[in-house]
Amino acid sequence: MVDIRSRNLKVKVAQQWENFGMLFILVLILAIFSSLDPNFRTVYNFISIFKYSTFIAIGGIGMAFCIMSGDFDISVGSMLAFVGVLGSSFIPFIGGVGAVLSTIVIASILGFINGIFITKLRIPAFITTLGMLYIFRALAYLYTSNVPVYIENKFWLYIGNGKIFNINFPIILMLICYLGGYLLLRKSPFGRYIVAVGTNPDASRLSGINVDKVRIIVFTLVGFFVGISSVVVSANLGSANPGQLGQGYEFQVITAVVLGGTILGGGNGSLGGLFVAALIITALKNGLSLMQVDSYWQDVATGLVLIFAVALNRIRYTLLGQRE
Amino acid sequence: MIKFLKLYERFGIFIFIILGSIFLAIASPNFLQTNTILNIIAQGTYGAIVGFGMTFAITSGGFDLSVAAVMGLTSVFLSLLIPVLGIPLAIIISLLVASSVGLVNGLIITKLNVNPLITTLAMMTIIRGVSLLVAGGRQIVISEKMFSIIGTGFLAGIPIPIIIMVVLFIFMFFTMYHSPFGRHVSAVGSNESAARISGLNVDLIKIMVFVLVAFTAGVAGVIRTSQTLIGIPTMSPGFELVAITVTILGGTSLAGGRGNIWGTLFAAIFISMIYYGLNLLNVQIFFQMLSVGTVLIIALFIDGARNRYLESVRAKGIKV
Repeated sequence: MVDIRSRNLKVKVAQQWENFGMLFILVLILAIFSSLDPNFRTVYNFISIFKYSTFIAIGGIGMAFCIMSGDFDISVGSMLAFVGVLGSSFIPFIGGVGAVLSTIVIASILGFINGIFITKLRIPAFITTLGMLYIFRALAYLYTSNVPVYIENKFWLYIGNGKIFNINFPIILMLICYLGGYLLLRKSPFGRYIVAVGTNPDASRLSGINVDKVRIIVFTLVGFFVGISSVVVSANLGSANPGQLGQGYEFQVITAVVLGGTILGGGNGSLGGLFVAALIITALKNGLSLMQVDSYWQDVATGLVLIFAVALNRIRYTLLGQRE
Repeated sequence: MIKFLKLYERFGIFIFIILGSIFLAIASPNFLQTNTILNIIAQGTYGAIVGFGMTFAITSGGFDLSVAAVMGLTSVFLSLLIPVLGIPLAIIISLLVASSVGLVNGLIITKLNVNPLITTLAMMTIIRGVSLLVAGGRQIVISEKMFSIIGTGFLAGIPIPIIIMVVLFIFMFFTMYHSPFGRHVSAVGSNESAARISGLNVDLIKIMVFVLVAFTAGVAGVIRTSQTLIGIPTMSPGFELVAITVTILGGTSLAGGRGNIWGTLFAAIFISMIYYGLNLLNVQIFFQMLSVGTVLIIALFIDGARNRYLESVRAKGIKV
């Protein structure tokens, strides 16, 4: 009896953790920094954490699909830089709206190319995208000769800095992206295909899902969301710098997705968890820099959070008595 | 066809080397001189040395992205320890520090059961951060001129880095092909559960592989630091790509189980030839990144095509 009861307790803890664990950590981090630093606990700062979390949160949607389908994309940081410099350099020729749209389209095409390499040439995703990480970054340098592109176009800048009814435009954009992502994942057959492919690609193939097509679309979506993030980030900075834009971005995005409860190796995941995790990472960075902790410590902290997040998922699954 | 593939797996890299040599010999009159060739090989030593470790990691089915960060960490420790402890002790301790990073990698991967890619990606960031913290965010000049002998000295007319590489090559070659450990690594890489069931201590083998990779990264860090006489916390960014490219181009299969130390050695020299060629063309440094990335994708394509073919042959019931 005791045995069953203690097991039930474990399962309950694990299940509740799945729903509210990340929220709990977020509140904990906000509480700790708020008590330590008066500059942290201002409305202005909370809004800015919200605003900056959109960089990770938007790019994370594509990555969440990718990890759910059982793959990885570590080229996103370099892709963000490359499409940022390429798209913003089009502004003088095709105007702000055209440049923004072409940035997103180019990013989607790059994602599509990744997908083709991975599915048709059957090269493992993590290593294809590792190669692409360096290729995209090199192309960004070569295209600009390592000179940042300054952005003065009103439309482009509005996407990162504008406000509607006093709400920052990136936040609205993020909510739209999440609505789209949610509908795609939960209300469309395609979302179920992603989860099926991630859970068991062979079974999916046998039950008639075109696995290659699903994976290609997933990588295209990764590109699509990176394209949007690229516009938001570069608009926020007012320039697109080939060397600095998106440096370490893949790392933050993967951390957010994993911390959000999506299991490495594929299967189901959570967009809500990802959103909260993006806030956690941004709050952590924001809090540490307000307390003037060395930026090097911030890197160490994010790295530890990633390992911690993966280990935590494992422990949760062990508690539930499931195998991956 | 199978015979050809087997030959290719062993000697494929030589085709690249020969084609590259012909091209460079035509493009540059200086290429066919002992000095130039020694120089190209010497430039390839880091790639080869770290590639040896990476070959073990990929053979065991793992992967290490933290090697460049470990080189930086070694460099920082050397520059801080040499004035205090003298050169030999500083080198030994720096190599121990490097190896301990591998130990941590291995422990996280085996005991916490975290995917190697994610672990070493996180460790890359962590170790870079630690190196910058230890160094205080700056580069540290080493005033002990004697230390430069490791990276720039000659022994019987041959650059010392090449000698170190050859010694390590012999060691790695025997470990890979003529020791129980080498066979265990291959066994773990080709079928982990089978290796476990047949009584191998898989966790221990994996941990030792990651220690070995970090150790080779440490050695590369020592040579590189000795050449510049500066402790650089951000040393060789992107070097993990070179080490992985060299390993796969050399014929080690990404699927695990089959390592090729010879191939790694010559692939490193081939990459060094590409760099030499790019220098001749006098192009921007970013072309190096682009070329290595492209070579990696090509090497992966060849590896993938080979595995697909072997799979289809096996499916027909022919023993390979």
